[in-house]
Amino acid sequence: MLKWVRKGLRAGIKTTGYPHTRESAPGISPGRPAAMLCDGPQEAGAVAGRCPTGALSNQGNMIRVDHRRCVHCGRCRQDHEHAMAWEGGYEWAGGRKAPGEMAAAFSRSLHIRILDAGACGACLSEIKQISSPYYNIHRLGFFITPTPRTADVLLVAGPLTDPMRLPLERCYAAMPDPKRVVAVGACAVSGGIFGPSFAAAAGISQCVPVDIEIPGCPPPPLALLHALLMVAGKTKQT
Amino acid sequence: MTETGSLLLTFFIVCGLGVFTGGLPGNEKHAACVSIIGSVASLALLTASGIVLLSGRAFSMALWALPLFGKMMLGMDRMSALFLFITGMVFLPVSIFSAGYLKRYTGRYSLKSFAVFYFLLFASIALTLMAMDVLSFVIGWEAMSLLGYLLVNYEHEQADTTRSGMVMLLMSEAGTLAVILAFVILARTTGDMGFASLRAGAVHLGAVAGWFVFLLSFFGFGVKAGLVPVNSWLPMAHPVAPGNVSAILSGVILNLGIYGIVRINADILPIAGTGQGLVVLLIGTLSALVGILYATPEDDMKKMLAHSSIENMGIVTAGLGAGFVFLTSGHPVPAGLAFIAALYHMTNHSLYKALLFLGAGSVDMQVGSRHMQGLGGLIRRMPWTALFFLVGALSIAALPPFNGFVSEWLTLQTLLQCAVLPSKAVKITFALCGAGLALTAALAVTCFVKAFAMNFLGKERSEKAAKAAEAAPSMTISMGILAVACFLFGILPTYVIPAMDRVVQPYVHVSAVDQLVPPFFTVGRGNDKFDRTFVADFHKLGAQVGSRVLPGRGLVIMHRGGKRNPVIFAMSPAYTVAVLLLLLGGTFLIIRLLTRRRSLTHGPAWSGGLGRLPPEMTYSATGFSNPVRVIFRGIFRPVTVRDARETVANHFRSAIRKDQLEIHMIDRLFGKPIVHYGRRLAERLGRMHSGRVNAYAAYVLAALLAVLLIQGLA
Repeated sequence: MLKWVRKGLRAGIKTTGYPHTRESAPGISPGRPAAMLCDGPQEAGAVAGRCPTGALSNQGNMIRVDHRRCVHCGRCRQDHEHAMAWEGGYEWAGGRKAPGEMAAAFSRSLHIRILDAGACGACLSEIKQISSPYYNIHRLGFFITPTPRTADVLLVAGPLTDPMRLPLERCYAAMPDPKRVVAVGACAVSGGIFGPSFAAAAGISQCVPVDIEIPGCPPPPLALLHALLMVAGKTKQT
Repeated sequence: MTETGSLLLTFFIVCGLGVFTGGLPGNEKHAACVSIIGSVASLALLTASGIVLLSGRAFSMALWALPLFGKMMLGMDRMSALFLFITGMVFLPVSIFSAGYLKRYTGRYSLKSFAVFYFLLFASIALTLMAMDVLSFVIGWEAMSLLGYLLVNYEHEQADTTRSGMVMLLMSEAGTLAVILAFVILARTTGDMGFASLRAGAVHLGAVAGWFVFLLSFFGFGVKAGLVPVNSWLPMAHPVAPGNVSAILSGVILNLGIYGIVRINADILPIAGTGQGLVVLLIGTLSALVGILYATPEDDMKKMLAHSSIENMGIVTAGLGAGFVFLTSGHPVPAGLAFIAALYHMTNHSLYKALLFLGAGSVDMQVGSRHMQGLGGLIRRMPWTALFFLVGALSIAALPPFNGFVSEWLTLQTLLQCAVLPSKAVKITFALCGAGLALTAALAVTCFVKAFAMNFLGKERSEKAAKAAEAAPSMTISMGILAVACFLFGILPTYVIPAMDRVVQPYVHVSAVDQLVPPFFTVGRGNDKFDRTFVADFHKLGAQVGSRVLPGRGLVIMHRGGKRNPVIFAMSPAYTVAVLLLLLGGTFLIIRLLTRRRSLTHGPAWSGGLGRLPPEMTYSATGFSNPVRVIFRGIFRPVTVRDARETVANHFRSAIRKDQLEIHMIDRLFGKPIVHYGRRLAERLGRMHSGRVNAYAAYVLAALLAVLLIQGLA
């Protein structure tokens, strides 16, 4: 046991200072494609056509990116001639509500209930990271709770497969007001590569009202932290 | 003849009437007969013993003089009266209960024989408690044992009933033999068999003979009281007995064991050495611990209650043991307290255990199962039964404001009085026993939280439980009577303790009650029995004001010490209940005030998002008590009898099944060796069977010679 103490003392504090200090490395996330101007409409069409989820679309020679659908597959930058430029960063979360509406009840602490609505496991493994010593959500007053009865935030990953529709509804109904729903990852936001299909919906917004969406496949832990800070009204922008 | 005498005569005549009507043909009206005649008999007994208990006029009546055994005497001193009173208090509700309960046996078993056995048992118990000589005592005792066996064995068509009945009969007869042997040793010094002359003659008994009498009578009576190590019959007999018989078994018959111990070891041959008192204390504590340890993980409700009876009898015995030790070391006041605590706990145990057994009986009758694994949710189907069972469970878990709390608290406080004892070793023993009893109390809470929650709360775990209906009114009313009694004995102990004090006074020769329940409300300033400043202090607090309101002594139990330490311990259950009510009401009001503006929505219980919550997935009785099972695994020592694994591939298990068997610790440690050596002895002796006629003649001759030799030497 002494060994642990010594090792811990030698290692020092490794926890990130985000959001008070700027964090540069967004985990293992490769980043995401940024909007791009092509030489001509045909080239743009070819680049956009490489996208398997329809995240890219072209208007003339301008390629737009719908990040809600992007799964970071990298096909758009595989062709060396017309490779799309990718951007770094992680503050990707976007709200469906005005920020002022969000903050009121959640400024002190948040209790989070995690629900797997048919996720592949990638988002869940990133979610698991946020309570690890490096990201440590507890320092921000965020706690994971096993029951929706005491939860403020419902964190949902996965495209919402049909068997999970009822549990999601029940879980949402079991949460006390006021409550917020955060959709994690491309699947939960838009259905991703799974939905809409015969077995899955096009994102959880078809079942419960979503307040914040975090695109990404998977979104890095810092993106999750950013979204939770948004719920708590502690982010600077938007 | 005094009024007590005529009341007792009425009692025996009514019992006889019960036996007579029980013998009448027809099977329809017997349940009502048992109920009405039994209630009348109980009332007669209650009044008769109540008069003796309050007035103290001992009653005695000579029956017949027999040539060899002397005079047969019936009598009732305060000790007998207390036990008879408890008997009446249990028999009254049980008789009422029987009106509804016996209907389950109509057409299957003979109600006629039940009625006959029931009234004979009632009469024989009264006879045992009133016997003032050895012969009537043994007759009553033996009749009581046999009738108890017959009633336990009532559902004789089931195989396990017969086996349990045989074990019960065997152990009870062994106990009776030991008791008779003790009486024989006692009677050596006197020609007469009356208790009075035995008492007079016991002074001349030597120390060794005294130890023999003590061991024989203590363990002989211990069989009836269900003390370790002679308790095995109790958990076997209870589950097979009908519900009302179980209530009598636990509420009355176990007390007879305590009665025997008190009668011999406090009255006839008062315990002389600290060693004997310590044996009683240790056996009591051990019984309490073993009892509750086996009660907590038990799934069968009645078996669980049976184990818990062992526990409670252990607490009573521990109190008696502490009393004996205090008495032999020259501290009569703590001894008085200990005896009061023990008798009080025994009274309480009779009340709440009868209540719980009646509750278990009604659940068994309405649902058809006693196994907690298959019950649950009954509070919605049987609300009254649930309420009264809850009162019983709270009482037995020793929670205020119910009766179990008062007596367990007194017992523990008495054990803490060991500071006055001279010997260090004895002090340490007392402290350890106190710790053991405290652990017992904690486990009892676990055990009865489980018992109530698994039976009455949550989801129904079986079809039968979902379809149950409330028990018949006669059954709920009888449980209600006992529940009210539990409550009253819990909040008004200051009226019970003086009565108990007068019971134990002849044995400790002082009155402990002024030390325990000071008459604040009635004592004047000038009373020289009390320290002047002490009384003045309480008058300052306004004690005298209450004299107009309260008829008796105060509502405070308070053990007084010397000048330096005027109050050793103090408590008032009556005020506690008032404060509890105030707190509850206040909390309720505050919550109402705070949440006035909040809206309330009702939703379904969260079940992990499942479409349907199967009862198998809710918290089970086994799961609740499993920590106890795991912590005390070293004591339970389960034996794995089957450990099967089905595998599809090497590492993929499709099913695991593990069957474990638990043998009761006492059976493992005492029963098994006795059976083993008994068999070996029987095998050896069996060889003598197939001998020649000449050899048999030689045995007879040798036996004759031996008898003559012994006679000649004596």
